[in-house]
Amino acid sequence: MLLEVRDLRVEFRTREGVAHAVNGVTYQVDAGETLAVLGESGSGKSVTAQAVMGILDMPPGRITGGEILFRGQDLLKLKEDERRRIRGAEMAMIFQDALSALNPVLTVGDQLAEMFVVHRGTSRKDARARAVELMDRVRIPAAAQRVRDYPHQFSGGMRQRIMIAMALALEPALVIADEPTTALDVTVQAQVMDLLAELRREYRMGLVLITHDLGVVADVADRIAVMYAGRIVESAPVHDLYKAPAHPYTRGLLDSIPRLDLKGRELYAIKGLPPSLTRIPPGCAFHPRCPMARDVCRTDPPPLYEVDQRRGSACHFWRECLDG
Amino acid sequence: MAEPVLEVEGLVKHYPLTRGVLFRKQIGSVKAVDGVDFTLGRGETLGIVGESGCGKSTVAKLLCHLERPTAGAIRYRGEDITKLSGKALKAVRRNIQMVFQDPYTSLNPRMTVGDIVGEPYEIHPEAAPKGDRRRRVRELLDVVGLDPEYVNRYPHQFSGGQRQRIGIARGLALRPEIIVADEPVSALDVSVQAQVINLMDRLQAEFELSYVFIAHDLSIVRHISDRVAVMYLGRIVETGTDTEIYDHPTHPYTQALLSAVPVPDPDARERRERIILSGDVPSPADIPSGCRFRTRCFKARERCALEVPALAVPAEFRYATGPAVHDSACLFAEELRVVPAEEHGNGPG
Repeated sequence: MLLEVRDLRVEFRTREGVAHAVNGVTYQVDAGETLAVLGESGSGKSVTAQAVMGILDMPPGRITGGEILFRGQDLLKLKEDERRRIRGAEMAMIFQDALSALNPVLTVGDQLAEMFVVHRGTSRKDARARAVELMDRVRIPAAAQRVRDYPHQFSGGMRQRIMIAMALALEPALVIADEPTTALDVTVQAQVMDLLAELRREYRMGLVLITHDLGVVADVADRIAVMYAGRIVESAPVHDLYKAPAHPYTRGLLDSIPRLDLKGRELYAIKGLPPSLTRIPPGCAFHPRCPMARDVCRTDPPPLYEVDQRRGSACHFWRECLDG
Repeated sequence: MAEPVLEVEGLVKHYPLTRGVLFRKQIGSVKAVDGVDFTLGRGETLGIVGESGCGKSTVAKLLCHLERPTAGAIRYRGEDITKLSGKALKAVRRNIQMVFQDPYTSLNPRMTVGDIVGEPYEIHPEAAPKGDRRRRVRELLDVVGLDPEYVNRYPHQFSGGQRQRIGIARGLALRPEIIVADEPVSALDVSVQAQVINLMDRLQAEFELSYVFIAHDLSIVRHISDRVAVMYLGRIVETGTDTEIYDHPTHPYTQALLSAVPVPDPDARERRERIILSGDVPSPADIPSGCRFRTRCFKARERCALEVPALAVPAEFRYATGPAVHDSACLFAEELRVVPAEEHGNGPG
């Protein structure tokens, strides 16, 4: 297994109290596989990714439990300089907002070349040549000239390509992409997702795709993990989940997508709001919004029940949910 | 079509590009809106879709008179509002209200919810007598699904979805006929979007509102709209009923846009035909000659650089009937189904 997150717990100290951002997250990603982590804002999907990458702001953040195994080695036990060697070379991250993730006062060529100079000890000149190659690889037109341009001189889609080039520069085994296309227009989004999928196949990378978009998940993911209030509430192969969700939250999300045959009628809407992370409801965190909630849901937090060998659901009544 | 409440004709908004501080010289212009025509019927919803920079938000601002157009007419009940000023303009403005995209920046953080929703009455005192305003504000909060007891709270005490409800309540305060909503749900979480869409649907029936609904999410636009207009670089390239646009698109840009939208059905992955456009949208300061879409079009030919296609029923459909016959600004328009029809029907639930 390439990456295994086990029972990860992260909290933040805030003025309003302790925010429980991640409350026991477990997931795995294999080489060549795409895992989508789906969740709304505040579900803990990005915080989990930051903990895996080792870029969580601590303080105010604090990892209070769990393991992050990368090729069997617990990253949380490593020293910072050991982690730094892994970060960039063996695992890399693609961020949502390329403009703020890239350095505005360095040319994109310098930023790409730096990866080779720092991690591989390549000479400046060779590194520069590699940078042009990479930009070509992510299909930036006239790469040899544009290598001297600064991030602000590129369009949003082109900047996202540069960030992908930077993440893939050292051919990492694992890439985490945090809403990589959310800031882009639909037609450009399709270009970037296509490119990412193609490169993933070519390098046989494991990809963790963090998103809130059920459409993007259906388009590219092999497996999906749905997060709610800092926990995985359902994990399944993507076809199974869309066919028959085993958690009422997943079902609610799928049902609230506008569909042709329901035009003119009311959309299904999950009632209420996601909980505040400083005051997560007891029992199942979803119970105040759940149409299936019963007494046991208010008191007993559900474990991730095994639905079948490849599926899990954190709902006491997953069988009923599965049956519709 | 229902009796028109709003008729837009030849609407143009150019922003000058200048150089020099002392001797300002115009060196060009950003053609944000470059000739837009449409009609909005009473009780109807017109959806406007397009990517960033296509001019859809500028159209919204022009309709609400937040910007003055460079040319063109906006007729509300037959009267051109772009020519109005002073009292006459103020009277018209009561009837056209706006709901903004970002519920975090469009509400004054130092005002209570009651003051925000009631502020339109300060500007239009004739809409409600002073003694009656508090009651009306509470009623409005109730209508949009907020607890009237919240009237003394501040915006930061509310979630994004609740704030958008506050923005909608403010938009309704003067009982307008038309609401222009610019990306009203795109800042909201998925589970909350459906709540706000349902609310807008209900209010439309209750108050006989006409909506101009601007968004980039094509499935939401389809759900709420009677007619849809697709914009590209300051112009409408195709317009028709929702079925005509979504199931029978004839403009290559619409086809590409529809085919690029991720469909929430993993089984559709293989069945879908995707049109991936190359390159980015050109700058609105430097619009291509002829058809403005030709630089990214997969069908472009020489003629496209020379002729500007008009927004009308294309010549090849002149004697045809059926849903493919609708306005499309393409010289080589042809029908192409890009979204498999059956996939909408077999979702869960």
